[in-house]
Amino acid sequence: MANAPAWAAELRQTATANLDRLPVLTGEEEDWRFTPPSDLGLAGVAPADGTAVAVDLAATAGPRAATLAFTDGTPSVPHGADLPAGVIVAELGQALIDHEDLVRSRLYSLIGFDDRPGALNAATWEAGTFIYIPRGVTLALPTETLLSATGARGRVSARTLIIVEAGAKATIIDRYRSGNLADPVAVSTATEIIVAEGGELEHLSLIEWGAGVRHHARITASAGKDARVRSVVVTLGGDVVRVEATHIAAGSGSDSRALGLFFADDHQHFEHRVVARHEAPQSYSNLLYKGALKDQSHTVFFGNLVVPPGAPGTDAYQTNRNLVLNEGARADTIPFLEIETAEVKCSHAGAVGRVDDEHLFYLRSRGIPEETAKRLIVIGFLQEVLAHVELEEVRRDLEHAVARKLA
Amino acid sequence: MDAPILQIKSLEVAVDGRTILKGVDLEVPQGEIHALMGPNGSGKSTLAYALAGHPRYEITGGSVIFDGQDLLDMAIDERAKAGFFLAMQYPVEVPGVSVLNFLRTSLIALHGEELSPREFMKLFQEKSKLLEFDASFTDRYLNEGFSGGEKKRHEILQMAMIEPRFAVLDETDSGLDVDALKVVSNGVNSLRGPNFGALIITHYTRILQHITPDVVHVMFEGKVVRTGGPELADELEAGGYAQYGSPEPAVAPSA
Repeated sequence: MANAPAWAAELRQTATANLDRLPVLTGEEEDWRFTPPSDLGLAGVAPADGTAVAVDLAATAGPRAATLAFTDGTPSVPHGADLPAGVIVAELGQALIDHEDLVRSRLYSLIGFDDRPGALNAATWEAGTFIYIPRGVTLALPTETLLSATGARGRVSARTLIIVEAGAKATIIDRYRSGNLADPVAVSTATEIIVAEGGELEHLSLIEWGAGVRHHARITASAGKDARVRSVVVTLGGDVVRVEATHIAAGSGSDSRALGLFFADDHQHFEHRVVARHEAPQSYSNLLYKGALKDQSHTVFFGNLVVPPGAPGTDAYQTNRNLVLNEGARADTIPFLEIETAEVKCSHAGAVGRVDDEHLFYLRSRGIPEETAKRLIVIGFLQEVLAHVELEEVRRDLEHAVARKLA
Repeated sequence: MDAPILQIKSLEVAVDGRTILKGVDLEVPQGEIHALMGPNGSGKSTLAYALAGHPRYEITGGSVIFDGQDLLDMAIDERAKAGFFLAMQYPVEVPGVSVLNFLRTSLIALHGEELSPREFMKLFQEKSKLLEFDASFTDRYLNEGFSGGEKKRHEILQMAMIEPRFAVLDETDSGLDVDALKVVSNGVNSLRGPNFGALIITHYTRILQHITPDVVHVMFEGKVVRTGGPELADELEAGGYAQYGSPEPAVAPSA
């Protein structure tokens, strides 16, 4: 951001002023009572810079239209093959200069800086991705951005802006990864996604941090008229992770699916706050988050379907199911509805359960040892979400990652 | 083959603190197929689950020797490895676990890694054909969306693939139409021989018209009260369970 244009520098100054002005989050706030903001590096000062631990980058498999990699927030040059005409995959800081016409009106439009975490990200982001798919263009291969942390920097802030224009189509992967760090790192990410009329986007957030990382992630996706947005959030790594995923049905006929899969072990703490906000009539949303927990881990799911006045014909569902594998692990699920329009179809469900003894008995009665049987049952439980991950190599990686957690 | 494959002595079993089996004695020599008949609530299914090691069934007395080993001392999966198989009356649905993945995992657990994927598929196709099991079910999740008859067929398919030394069939005939009953019976008969024994648990006589038992046992109020030849089934068919104080007939209502 060293050479940011004046307009961007001004916005950053405002965000910085907000950060100084806004009260520090204490954890007493209703929205923050499950995950202490200080654990995410959102309260006071960030963790100090520490010793670098190398990141294993090996598993970024599969053909990609373009890739970007940021280590500790340091921008890198995108690698792209021959992108279709007009498609932009760029470093966001550079895009402020090169693509002001596309970026300026949309950056901070979905995730602003009038609350403390928002201001923190806007005031501190150094690296980021800008992806632009022009009208009617289909990007056949996915793009992938890797944000990694080594521990050398105590705070890592990054920002992503994705614009899918009318009738365009793309698959975009955001991967987060580190080794097991000796020194704690606080990561803040903000991802704004705008899908215009009839556009289609599949967006994957793969959170695969090692130990020592605390991550506050905001992802807000807006679906225009008849647009289709599918987001998959997979949370497997990090000490403390809070994901706030918001799906806005901005246009009628839009179709938003929010899929989530998480598996917490050891002392991991994950919170997912997933909101579908129906601002236009006749729109559809479906949230499905499934989680498994073991050891001393704790997960929280807060889901909310918001239907303000003036959105009749809303068709909205949310489900969260959790499988607790042992005593000592704890899952909280809070499904919520805020409906102010008549003539809507909405349902919500949350459940916390254990491995079913009957399932275990059935598999074991066929000679399958207990641990293998449990593994099959847990992967089976998560399969409902995994089956929706269309990229085969990503799905395989995830199955392996889940299996490793069960080993 | 002189020693019985299954030797149950004075077995007592309680469920949720209530005693159901009150001293069951029963022996099946290897290579024989026995029928265990009795009215509802006599304890037939309790015996089946207790033998398989279901945690809800508490053994409060007696012993079970299986192929010379103490069956009650074995973990659930060890019993399967020892050659014991239970075809369940109500197989559960296990979401997200595909039929093929389940069967392959089971066979590898029982027979080791030497089964190649190709051999596995060949075996699967051969046995599916025998049991007229719809091949399109293979990608389905375990028992999910299966009809009652399909679940039973799937149980016997597993048995045919695993080739256990001994199987208990817990009311496999219930809910099957005549055609399905024939198919399932063929599956059982295909295993019949000196290395396969079975205990067929049934309320009704009709499955015994397709699988002729060597011996018939009658269970009532938690005990085996009578043991005889196949003619005992005919007697029950004619008189029902009246002589044991139960008004229930032994002829299936639809048969």
